[in-house]
Amino acid sequence: MSTKPIETPAKSKPVHPSYGKVLLTFVRNSLVRDMSFRTNFILQCITSLSWALMNFGLYKIIYGHTQQIGHWGEHEFFVFLATLWIINSIVQAFFMPNADEFSELIRTGNLDYALLKPIDTQFLVSFTRIDWSQLTNLATGLVILGISLRQLAHQAVNPLTIAPWTIFAYVFFVACGTVVMYGLMFTLAATSIWLGRNQNLYTFWFYITNFYRYPMEIYQRNALGWSLFATFTFVVPVLLVVNVPARVLARPLRPNWYSYEWLLAGLAVVAAVVSLAMSRLVFRWALNSYRSASS
Amino acid sequence: MAVIEVRQLWKSYRVYQKKEGLIASVRGLFRREYRDVHAVRGIDIDVERGEFIAFLGPNGAGKTTTLKLLSGVIRPSQGTCGVLGFTPWHRDNAYRRRFALVMGQKNQLWWDLPAQESFRLHQHIYRISPDDFTRVRDELADLLNVRKLMSQPVRELSLGERMKMELIAALLHSPEVLFLDEPTIGLDVVAQHNIQQFLKYYQEERKITAMLTSHYMKDVAALCRRVIIIANGLIHYDGSLSGVIGQFGSDKIVTLQLSEDTSFAQFENLPNLIEIIPPKIKFRCARDEVAQVLASFLDKHAVQDVSVEDPPLEEVIAKVFSQAQADHQLRSGESESSNSERKNVRPNRVGERS
Amino acid sequence: MTGTWLQRVMTWWIFFRISIEERLVYRVDYVIGTLLRFLPIVTQIFLWMAIFDAASKAVRETGDSFQIAGYRFHEMVAYYLLVTVSRAFSSMPGLTPGIARQIRDGEIKKYLIQPVDLIGSLLLQRIAHKFVYYFVAILPFALVFYLLGDYFPNGWPPVDVLLVFIASLVLSFLLGFFMETLFGLLAFWFLEIASLTFVFMLLNFFLSGHMFPLELLPREPINWQFIVDLLPFKYLAYFPAAVFLGKITGAQLYWGLAIEFAWVVVLILLTRVAWARGVARYSAFGG
Repeated sequence: MSTKPIETPAKSKPVHPSYGKVLLTFVRNSLVRDMSFRTNFILQCITSLSWALMNFGLYKIIYGHTQQIGHWGEHEFFVFLATLWIINSIVQAFFMPNADEFSELIRTGNLDYALLKPIDTQFLVSFTRIDWSQLTNLATGLVILGISLRQLAHQAVNPLTIAPWTIFAYVFFVACGTVVMYGLMFTLAATSIWLGRNQNLYTFWFYITNFYRYPMEIYQRNALGWSLFATFTFVVPVLLVVNVPARVLARPLRPNWYSYEWLLAGLAVVAAVVSLAMSRLVFRWALNSYRSASS
Repeated sequence: MAVIEVRQLWKSYRVYQKKEGLIASVRGLFRREYRDVHAVRGIDIDVERGEFIAFLGPNGAGKTTTLKLLSGVIRPSQGTCGVLGFTPWHRDNAYRRRFALVMGQKNQLWWDLPAQESFRLHQHIYRISPDDFTRVRDELADLLNVRKLMSQPVRELSLGERMKMELIAALLHSPEVLFLDEPTIGLDVVAQHNIQQFLKYYQEERKITAMLTSHYMKDVAALCRRVIIIANGLIHYDGSLSGVIGQFGSDKIVTLQLSEDTSFAQFENLPNLIEIIPPKIKFRCARDEVAQVLASFLDKHAVQDVSVEDPPLEEVIAKVFSQAQADHQLRSGESESSNSERKNVRPNRVGERS
Repeated sequence: MTGTWLQRVMTWWIFFRISIEERLVYRVDYVIGTLLRFLPIVTQIFLWMAIFDAASKAVRETGDSFQIAGYRFHEMVAYYLLVTVSRAFSSMPGLTPGIARQIRDGEIKKYLIQPVDLIGSLLLQRIAHKFVYYFVAILPFALVFYLLGDYFPNGWPPVDVLLVFIASLVLSFLLGFFMETLFGLLAFWFLEIASLTFVFMLLNFFLSGHMFPLELLPREPINWQFIVDLLPFKYLAYFPAAVFLGKITGAQLYWGLAIEFAWVVVLILLTRVAWARGVARYSAFGG
């Protein structure tokens, strides 16, 4: 053992950690990790892709039997589907592995280490892992989106014109939708502190998000439908997540600001802010009841 | 001012009481019964800067719970506690960058990546300047002799090597207070010794304040002058290591070397005999009777050599534990009057404070 | 001889009981999980409502007699409800990953040392879990079927069809169990089988009829109907539902049941072979 004395570093430390660099380290480490299991990575990309293609096939079959689903024509619907995949793949690449890991941290008591770090705990557990293979469907989504928009722009009746600001609005509302999903997912994940083993998190998530997979028009018919529409628009606002950006693109907002579309768009922004704030609140509250499992 | 000040700290949990049997389980679906478990029941501790304290106690005594309370991982049910002037469970960033907790049973390094990637993450979390980071990391790695292993995936390291990496990760930000929860658990003798030596050197060099829990008395003997014995959530002893033997080790171990021609068979019925390996016999003897017993031996037999030793530390500690257990069972019939009782056990420290 | 036989039954019984008790501990998960199981059906109903609406308007036919792939609207809804029943029997959440984990972590050694059969005890565990599940789920199931009784205008099918339906459900439980076990045992050969599991789930989702009635599948340019008939997946969801709805009639009913039974036998044999081979391989490599 060497006897070289250890020097004390300078005491004037800044109080805030460098969030940007921490995030970059997570991005890098996850990529290095994914690349060291290459076969698995490629297999996962292929399965995600085939999942998307099978879904695509299903709706192709359905559009063989009908021309519309809730006033959405085939290509409009595929704009919707592509948006769904884009948001879904972001959720699955960035949020899902962390929410899942979070329950695991609680079960094993390894959340202890996260709590020790001089950095926002929610930030730390939200972005530690990134599943890069899940971004396959981001690409698939973009391809389908491009093709469908081209079809819509070149159709004989009522061709679609896309203004540059529409693209900007689309990206903005996709971001809003993603934030809503993040907020809901981490609110849900935080409950594993009370519920203990929360194996059903994935299942639970699947059922909740089941409602956001379709255009909201399909619910707007009978009493049950309207109440579902109201619940999943105002209470658990998943219906806004895909619907708003998809409408912005496939059925451009009318310029009169008081229309239904503008209302939805405004609601999407509110939903993003509220669900983010809520996840933060529930997360803090949950941490106070953390028991720390002994190994 | 003390670095660590703990006053009347309590931690209780409600646990679901699972019943035996099928019908009871079905009933459990609708109505659950809970039981309160007191992991820590009103402890007081004062630690001065530069002390290295050992926390001893049987499993479930409340050692780890106390360390977790001190590091702010969990909140107490009652009581106050200050570390470096902070309340740990407020989890101020300013506090969190000044201490570290190492747990031998858990790991915080990225399993599939080289340890240095985890170190780099810590650099950014603790915002360590690149120069400081490289210097401290390399110094620690040299001291622990693991410099070459930093670029190997953690999963390929041995348990001892991994523990060394965990230590480096925990010490990169040069904490002033260090909590160690069984840092040598499951390690072989060599790795254990290495880590002891390292901790001893590091703590003395840096004058940091450290608290250690361990089941290995070797760790304790090598590192700590002061020990706190905790059982059933109560402190039973707080003082020097040698004092434990003075207070609880009422026996001495006497070894006599007799001349070869003694008939050793006559000693087989000796009370408190430990072993006979001619020409030596070894037996246990109450401390205040040692002189008398030795005199009678010297009188009757040809004694060539004498040694009188304290019993091994493990044995004394085990005795303290079982005594504490018996006390607890005695008391559990009465109501929770442990507050006043505890003060009777250690009046000296209460006096010290005022 | 009777002594050991009795002992064995006792061992199994205790094992069964412990499994049930273990399940009951997680009650919150349970009730919520059961109720949520019906949420996707609700969206499916609304989706098909929208599809039938648009499609029937396009051909100016009245909503009630309009058919897609031989299904009227109420039959389509009834189909999804019945598929939930099939899936309540045939789906085995956590079975494949559980076996894979036991193999990877070496927990499997227990079964090589103790005189307990892994597949047997897993089967018993599953039966116990299913019993608990039905115990908790029967109320929400009854409620949903009562509320949506209108989608079954013909009521119960004749007794013989009902018997075939029940038999096909029991067989679908066994089929699901052995299929998932077989996939789990693949972990002896492929350590990381997470993505393989996903492929299985995917095939299951689309080819079992879980997502849509298999009659919707096109015959052109690829004859998907033919492919689906060759595979065992359709017995996990489609077959029992189609039997109940009278989509399969006459001798086809019994033929289908016989083929399902044959698949169960084949899969039991395959699992046995995979287990024996896997264990041999495992002990050869020393874990």
